[in-house]
Amino acid sequence: MSTIKEYLTNDHRKCDEIFAAMEDKASESLESAKEITAEFVADMEHHFQMEERVMFLEFEQKTGMTQGPTEMMRQEHAQMRALMQQLSEAIDANNKDKFFGLTETLMILLQQHNMKEEQMLYNMAQQHLNAESDRIVDMMDSLIVE
Amino acid sequence: MELTGLSVDQAPPISAPLRFFLTAPLFGVLAGILILLSDTTILISRYSTDSIVITHAITIGFFAFIMLGSLTQMLPVLASAKIQNVKNITLISYFLLTLGLLSMIFGLKLDIKLLISLSYMMLGIGFLIMILSILYAIKGVKHFTATIKGMLASLIFAFMIVLMGMLLLSEYANNSISQYHYILANVHSVWAIFGFSGLLIIGVAFQVLPMFYVAPKFKQFCKKRVVILISIGLFIWLALNIFAENYALYAKLWIATFFWAFATTVWLKFNRRKRAVSDVTVLYWRAASIFLTLGSFLWIFDEFFKHEYIVMVAILIGGGFILSIMIGMIYKIVPFLVWFHLNAMGYMSIPTINEMIDKDLAKIQFTIMMLSLIGFIFAFYMPKLLMPSAVYFIISMLILEYNILAPVFIYRRTKKTEPDFDMSAFK
Repeated sequence: MSTIKEYLTNDHRKCDEIFAAMEDKASESLESAKEITAEFVADMEHHFQMEERVMFLEFEQKTGMTQGPTEMMRQEHAQMRALMQQLSEAIDANNKDKFFGLTETLMILLQQHNMKEEQMLYNMAQQHLNAESDRIVDMMDSLIVE
Repeated sequence: MELTGLSVDQAPPISAPLRFFLTAPLFGVLAGILILLSDTTILISRYSTDSIVITHAITIGFFAFIMLGSLTQMLPVLASAKIQNVKNITLISYFLLTLGLLSMIFGLKLDIKLLISLSYMMLGIGFLIMILSILYAIKGVKHFTATIKGMLASLIFAFMIVLMGMLLLSEYANNSISQYHYILANVHSVWAIFGFSGLLIIGVAFQVLPMFYVAPKFKQFCKKRVVILISIGLFIWLALNIFAENYALYAKLWIATFFWAFATTVWLKFNRRKRAVSDVTVLYWRAASIFLTLGSFLWIFDEFFKHEYIVMVAILIGGGFILSIMIGMIYKIVPFLVWFHLNAMGYMSIPTINEMIDKDLAKIQFTIMMLSLIGFIFAFYMPKLLMPSAVYFIISMLILEYNILAPVFIYRRTKKTEPDFDMSAFK
C-alpha cells in the first residue's frame, strides 16, 4: 500500500492530467468542455475533502497544531474553490477569455499549493502518522464526497 | 520543522521581488543605449571596457536582478525556507546593487577611479548579503529536492564569481591589471553563465516544467546527477585552464554536452506536455532551447578558431538562452504575485492573470526581442546591423517594462478600493 505522501501526491498528478485535458477540450469549445470541467471540479473537491475530512484531522489530533499548516492549506482550498466556481460561470457565459484566464490563475495557485504540500506538509504528516499510514490511506480511499 | 512559506503572511512582501523585476528592463534599456554609444569595432573584443560595461548592465542589471527577485519569492514555495529579515535584506541589497552597478558602468565608461572603487564595494556587499542570507535559509531545509540542490550549487558559484568580480574591478580601480587578470575574468564569466545562471535555470526547470506545463517529469538521472556533474565539469575546467590549458577543451566538451542535452530535453518535454495552451512563456522556453543548442556547439567550435566567435557565443547563450528564460519567468511571476497578494487581502473580483498583461503585446515584445538577438548575432558579419538591433533591443525592453507594470498598476488601483470580501471583522 502506498504511503500518505505517495497517495496524495499521485492524486495531485491525476488532477493535473484532468486539468490539462479540460483545457484541451475547452480550446475546441467551452460547450464540449462542460462535462470534463465538472469532472475536474469533482476530483479536486474529492482531493480537498480527503485532506480536510481525514488527513488534516488526524494530523491536527496527533500534533495539536490546529492553526498551523493545515489551516493555511484550508484557506488556499477556499481560494481554489472560488476560482473553480467561476469556471462554471465562464462556461455558462461562453466566455473563453475568462475561462482561460481562470485556468491560468488556478494552475499557478494550484501548483504552488501542491509544492508546499508535497515538500512540507505531506512529509510532516508521514513522519507523525507513519504508524497509522495504512488506515488513513484506506479512509481517504473510501471517502464519499459530501 | 519549518512552517514558513505556507501563507501569504510569511511570503516576502510583494515589493521585495517586484523592485528587482521592475528595475531589470530599465538596465536592459541602458545596455541598449550603451551599445548605441559604443564603437562597433571595439565590441568585437570581450575585454574592451565597452564590452565589459554592456555585458554587466545585462548580466547584473537584468539576469541577477531577476534571479535574486525570483529567489526571494520562490524560496518559501520551492524550499519551504524563509530568508530572515527578508524585507530589509532585499531593500539594502537592491540599493547597493543598483548604485554599485551604475557606479561600475559610469566609472569604467568615463574612467573615474573613485566610482570604480565604490562600485566593487557596493556590488560585493549587495550580492553577498543576499547570497549568504539565502544560503543560510537553505541550511535549515530538511527535504533536499533536486531543485534546491540546483539552487544551492548555483549560489555557491555565485558567491565565488562575486569575489572574483570584486577582485577584477579592484584591479581597474587601482590601475594594476595583474598577469592573472584575464584568466580570472574568463573563469568569472564561464562560471557566471554556466554555474550561477545555468544551474539555477536547470534546477528550477526540474520543478516548473512538469508543474506549470504538465510536461513529463525529468528522469531521476537528470534530477540526481546533472547538477553535480556540471559543477564537477566547471571545477575541472578551472583546473585545466590554469595547469594544462591544452586539455581545457575536454572539460568544455563535458559542460557543453550537458547544456546541449538540457536544451534538447526541454524541447522534447514541451512537445510532450499535456497542456496544449501556448503563451509567450512557451515561446521563450522554445527560443531558449534553440539558442542554447547553437551556443553550446559554437562554444566548442570557437576553440578551433582562436576564440573569434566568443562574442557570438555570449549573445547566443547569454542573450538567447538566459535572457529568454528570465523574461518568460517574469511574465508568469508578476501577474501571479499581484493576483495572489490581492486575493489574500480579500479582493475577490480582480482580473485573472491572463487579463493583466496584453497577450498580443507580449508576443510583439517577444518578436522584437528575437529580431534584435538575431541582428546582434549577424552583426558579427555585418556591423551595420548592430545599431538597428540595439534600437530593437531598447524598444523590446520598454514594452517589457510596460507589460510588467500593467499588473502593478492594477495592484495599486485595486488597493485603493475596499475589498469586496467582508473584512470588517479584521479592522
